[in-house]
Amino acid sequence: MIATIARQQVLMLRRQGTFVAMLATLLVMTALAGVLGWSSHHTIVRAYDEAVKLLASTGKPAPPNPFTLKPTLSLLSNMVVYIPLIGALLALIVGHLGIVDDEAGGVGRLIFTRQVSRTGYVLGKIASAGAVLFVVLTASLAVSAISLVAVNHAIAFAEVGRLVMFYSLSWLYLMVFAVIGMATVLITRRRSIALLSALGAWLVITLAIPQFTSGLRPTQSLNPITDPVSTSQTFFRVTASARPYSIVEQYKQASGRILDTTTPEPVWQTIQRVLPIAGLLLILVLVTARLVQRHDFSRSSTHE
Amino acid sequence: MDSPVINARGLCHRYDVEPVLRDIDLTINAGEIFGFLGHNGAGKTTAINILTTLLEPTSGVAQVCGFDVVTERREVTRCIGYLPAEVRMYGHMTAAENLEFFAKLSGVADARTAVAETLDFLGCSDLAAKRVGAFSTGMRQRIGIAQAIVHRPRVLFLDEPTAGLDPLGVRQLRDTILRLNRDLGMTVFMNTHLLGEVAKVCTTIGVLNHGELIYKDSIAETTRRFPDEASLEDIYLRMESAPT
Repeated sequence: MIATIARQQVLMLRRQGTFVAMLATLLVMTALAGVLGWSSHHTIVRAYDEAVKLLASTGKPAPPNPFTLKPTLSLLSNMVVYIPLIGALLALIVGHLGIVDDEAGGVGRLIFTRQVSRTGYVLGKIASAGAVLFVVLTASLAVSAISLVAVNHAIAFAEVGRLVMFYSLSWLYLMVFAVIGMATVLITRRRSIALLSALGAWLVITLAIPQFTSGLRPTQSLNPITDPVSTSQTFFRVTASARPYSIVEQYKQASGRILDTTTPEPVWQTIQRVLPIAGLLLILVLVTARLVQRHDFSRSSTHE
Repeated sequence: MDSPVINARGLCHRYDVEPVLRDIDLTINAGEIFGFLGHNGAGKTTAINILTTLLEPTSGVAQVCGFDVVTERREVTRCIGYLPAEVRMYGHMTAAENLEFFAKLSGVADARTAVAETLDFLGCSDLAAKRVGAFSTGMRQRIGIAQAIVHRPRVLFLDEPTAGLDPLGVRQLRDTILRLNRDLGMTVFMNTHLLGEVAKVCTTIGVLNHGELIYKDSIAETTRRFPDEASLEDIYLRMESAPT
């Protein structure tokens, strides 16, 4: 039953063009991240070459090539920004579309007069969102790998492993938004309000909460870098204590660590950063399951 | 023929504080075509929602095919088919894909064959490969009936099935209901406003007035009991206007 519901939903997303639009957007984002990374690499190397020539003409020794100090996967550091900004929005839409036809469209009335358990229904819908995001992110991983090979002429096995870990984390992160997209349809009574509520949740998670944590230090809201100064002041200590609840920051920090673009930290610390995201996803799945259990699908469309 | 397939005792339902159904006692036997009449807001759709397991009654019990609609929901859904007042399906999917989906949800082993047979039975195989989003009201209604019977239920619930249909569509629907009853042995529970259709199709009628079942009997007995009334419409209006 779960597979039947999941397959139908994937087919619907394909037919609606949502899947293709999402795939195209994410692949363009990935390619753009690669191009920007290559451009940055190219600029640094050119500046270095010029500097080496200048230094050689004055008889001074040349410093080491700065690019050799940069990790290979730093080429994709922009993806860490694109996924929470654009990927999360797309995931919201996937989740929203997963439920809205059944709720506001009235198909739920037909589904729940069949031998379908409400738990099976929720799991089927979540599985469909998971499958769509999996395919899209796998394609993005492939484009990332191609970009790396194009720039560096090779890619190490360990780097492929890091890429897989980064995209797995991204999948987990995007699933949070897909489930939010589903839950808001069940909480609200109008299609437009449901979508606006989901967008509101995205705004709070992605932009508002970080304003009270790393947003106080603007460079951190854009790039996954560690604190430029230690958080010694009381105010910063308070905001730092709120940081574990900011899943977008945890995602950026953990991604930075996986892609090796931030200061090294113990593995357990990176795992700790992933736990709030997994925890929130689990809570959202349970809340959505509860909402479906209690939802009156008989009043979805017409009722007397 | 006389074994009850629908049995409700003391059925009540209220939305917020307003009672919609009040103490309904209703028995419908196998093979009947039951017409459920009542004004807008009388509680007909609420009654169908309860009997199709979409809604739990506030109090009272209801059984369909011998199973309780609250505690044995899964068994009830196995033996019922349901056509809502406004048929909604997945518009981006074809009629066959929609029907296959609903057949699988009903546990039909060979869904593809069941869909082909159902479309053939209803004479609308030509709609199979077309997307439902582009269908007219009449076409949607036919596919709606197909989804309701694709798993060959024992009881078919139809909520205002003639809504939005042109006269030809109404006649085709009437013929379909009679065939489903005669050829497939389905018991039909039908909410409707069209009294003319009730007289032509139904074997039994029930009248709901402000949530109360004020009358239930066979068509033959009804016309015998009200010999002075010219038509079922007159009988219905007389019952509706009578003090409850």
